[in-house]
Amino acid sequence: MKRGGWALIRSTWLSWMQYRSFFFILAFGWMIPPLIYLFVWSAAAGEGSIGGMTRGGFVAYYLVLILVNQITYAQTNWTVGDLIRTGQINKLLLRPISPIYDALASEVAGKVVYLVFIVPILIGLSFLLKPEMELTVANVLAFLPALLLAWALRFFWGYWLALLAFWTARADALLILQDSLVFLLAGQVAPVALLPGFLKTLAVILPFRYMVGFPVEVLGGGLSQADLITGFAFQIGWTALAVVVYRFMWRRGLVRYAAVGG
Amino acid sequence: MQSLRLIGAFMRTSFQEAAAYRSNFFISLFTSILNLGTGILGIMVLYGQIKTVHGWDLNSTLALLGVYLVVSALRGLFMGPSFDSLAGMEGEIWSGAFDFTLLRPLNTQFFVSFRKWRLFSLIDLLLGLGVLVTAVIRLGTVLSLVRILSFLGVLTVGLVVLYSILLLFAALIFWSPGVLFTWVFDGLFQMARYPNVLYPGWLRMVLTWIIPVGVITTFPAKALTATLPLREFLPGLLIAVGLLIFSSFLFKVGLRKYGSASS
Amino acid sequence: MNETLITVNDLTKVYRVPVRSEGLGASINSLFHPAFSEVEAVRQVSFEIKAGEMVGLIGPNGAGKTTTLKMLSGLLHPSSGEVSVTGFIPWQRKPEYLRSISMVMGNKSQMLWDIPPLDSFKVLGEIYNVPKDEFKRNLDELVDLLDIKEVLVKPVRNLSLGERMKCELTASLLHRPRVLFLDEPTLGMDVSMQLRLRRFLADYNRASGATVILTSHYMADVMALCPRVILIHHGRLLHDGALGVLANGMAPFKMMRITLGRESVLKEELPPLPEGTELISLEGNTVSLRVPRDRAASTTAFLLKEMNVVDLAVEDPAIESVIDQVYSGGAA
Repeated sequence: MKRGGWALIRSTWLSWMQYRSFFFILAFGWMIPPLIYLFVWSAAAGEGSIGGMTRGGFVAYYLVLILVNQITYAQTNWTVGDLIRTGQINKLLLRPISPIYDALASEVAGKVVYLVFIVPILIGLSFLLKPEMELTVANVLAFLPALLLAWALRFFWGYWLALLAFWTARADALLILQDSLVFLLAGQVAPVALLPGFLKTLAVILPFRYMVGFPVEVLGGGLSQADLITGFAFQIGWTALAVVVYRFMWRRGLVRYAAVGG
Repeated sequence: MQSLRLIGAFMRTSFQEAAAYRSNFFISLFTSILNLGTGILGIMVLYGQIKTVHGWDLNSTLALLGVYLVVSALRGLFMGPSFDSLAGMEGEIWSGAFDFTLLRPLNTQFFVSFRKWRLFSLIDLLLGLGVLVTAVIRLGTVLSLVRILSFLGVLTVGLVVLYSILLLFAALIFWSPGVLFTWVFDGLFQMARYPNVLYPGWLRMVLTWIIPVGVITTFPAKALTATLPLREFLPGLLIAVGLLIFSSFLFKVGLRKYGSASS
Repeated sequence: MNETLITVNDLTKVYRVPVRSEGLGASINSLFHPAFSEVEAVRQVSFEIKAGEMVGLIGPNGAGKTTTLKMLSGLLHPSSGEVSVTGFIPWQRKPEYLRSISMVMGNKSQMLWDIPPLDSFKVLGEIYNVPKDEFKRNLDELVDLLDIKEVLVKPVRNLSLGERMKCELTASLLHRPRVLFLDEPTLGMDVSMQLRLRRFLADYNRASGATVILTSHYMADVMALCPRVILIHHGRLLHDGALGVLANGMAPFKMMRITLGRESVLKEELPPLPEGTELISLEGNTVSLRVPRDRAASTTAFLLKEMNVVDLAVEDPAIESVIDQVYSGGAA
């Protein structure tokens, strides 16, 4: 099983690298909104600080955000949703390994391609924009599981949303809504700490912050002990829920798929 | 004039094509309202933390958003759909259907610029105007006739810049048919939501001289709500004219290349 | 009706095709020293076509027929040579020229996919500036001739291939072009639809006097429709004239089939054949021979004398086989 999975990842990666200019352009497009807010907030902070963050702090926050966003970005709408809509999922259902490995292979392949593009740019931007971030060992150690959970949460959340394709031909509205919620509540338009009252509450409760913003905040070190613990609690809780919903929908979806006809 | 009659025929046909897919309307409406909402919320979050940034406050930035939405709507009205039919792997140039476009007794640049319309964008236009008018009222600006006319003039110049950039990307398709240049532009155009001055000097130069998105939105907003000195506007006007001439020329060269390449 | 409408003089088209070799090193090298090979798609082709003619452009794949057609319609610029169609130079693409021609391509559609053909027709009427009453008259006539009345209001994506081609033809004739270029119009169609389209084209050419140039893989199209064919092979014009003359000129042979009086004959039992006569096949007691045209009579006499002939048939070789021979490089 492991060997088959690894071969699948490698072959997927090679085929993605062939189309790398296409994916670089995609990655470029995803990089721009956080970059805009990087400039907006650092201009706003100017010489002083806003909400405890200085210009350099905002720069650091957003550069890490771009990285985290790219690592956690859910491609499942294409790798799963489209396959279901076009009936190509049949190929995957016939394989001895679960289709989720196919999605995982695309994940790894895609992320590596995007990172090949993004990391040099981020390094260049760091020299240009001079971020300021105090890295402690504790924060870095906490950052890694937060990042992993963020990826898992976004992946499984995206997966169950993509499975809606079993029931409806177009889930556009939901995906558009999802994008907006991620934009507002995941720390893109502003770090969650700077959001006004009710938005901040929403952001803390809903899963979106834990997909992108939370790991960035952990690394930045601005979270208190209590905030850290509640944050992880929410993150683990939402991830577990996402996995449960995914498994439920997968089983129901297959039943429906077989009934309706592949 | 025959051109106007033709544009009318193109609009009618696009409407018929869109009507073939009914569900799109509600999804488009939903997307537009969501887009509007997040844009406004974004600005409110920023100005919830600080009163002004480099001389721009909530209301003037809101006015800029209004201009941005108006310009995006006009782009989505005909420029976007028309040029997009050439691009990408489902586009005319890749598939070879461009041959038929060349066979028509019309100026190809005119045909390719005006032949597909997305009439829903008129709703986007209304939403954008709504934001713009609200912002202007909140700013308390006195809208004299002179101010409105200069706004319209500067907006037109901005639209010429936008059209020229899109035409340039369309021309590049003749050399690289598969590349989605407009995606790159979309990313850069997002920067036009916020005033030019917010961006660091080097980026401001890029956004004024290389891909003049700043000219497209910041200038009209300033003309309407504050002041746009002539010496600041004049370079923008020159860029607009220069870009238009250059991209039209490049398009002609691209046509020539298509006519020399293999079948 | 007898004026020369199309003049082609030494038309040549050479493509520069980039040559790439395998491997990373070669790719990098090609960035700095791009290598090209030259493909001569059309070589010094010359011909004249009079108004009202129906001409077939034939030749194997890649011979240069579509390239020639595209240069005549203005879609491609030639490398050298002159072309004049209805008094215009095609690749200048003057509006008056484009209004006087039309092109139909078997593998591409000019109609908008999601709406009924009628709506596409109306836009084309506007584009070609056809006056309203003339448009209605032309449309009614074509709808009648092609029998597409019910099809007019169905979205194009719901039409069959044959219905779609009939609409393509209608679309291309609404503005009454003086010259109609057809590139593989019956591609992928069943025999009955091919027959119907051929009848339409023949009728239309006769009634309207429009000049028609058509390329086709199907010999049947060309044999049925075109009194004159131009054969292009490896970019060169090999023949310009009637199809029958082409066949005779290419292969001055006759096919003879004789049935002998015995049950079966072995090859060794046949008498030595006259010079130039070739044994094609021997099955049981049936012998098939290929005989030079000018020796048909003498060979017949010889065979009747030397062999116990019960039945004898003399035929022209099938045009397809002649053309096939040319295509495979053996121009006799």
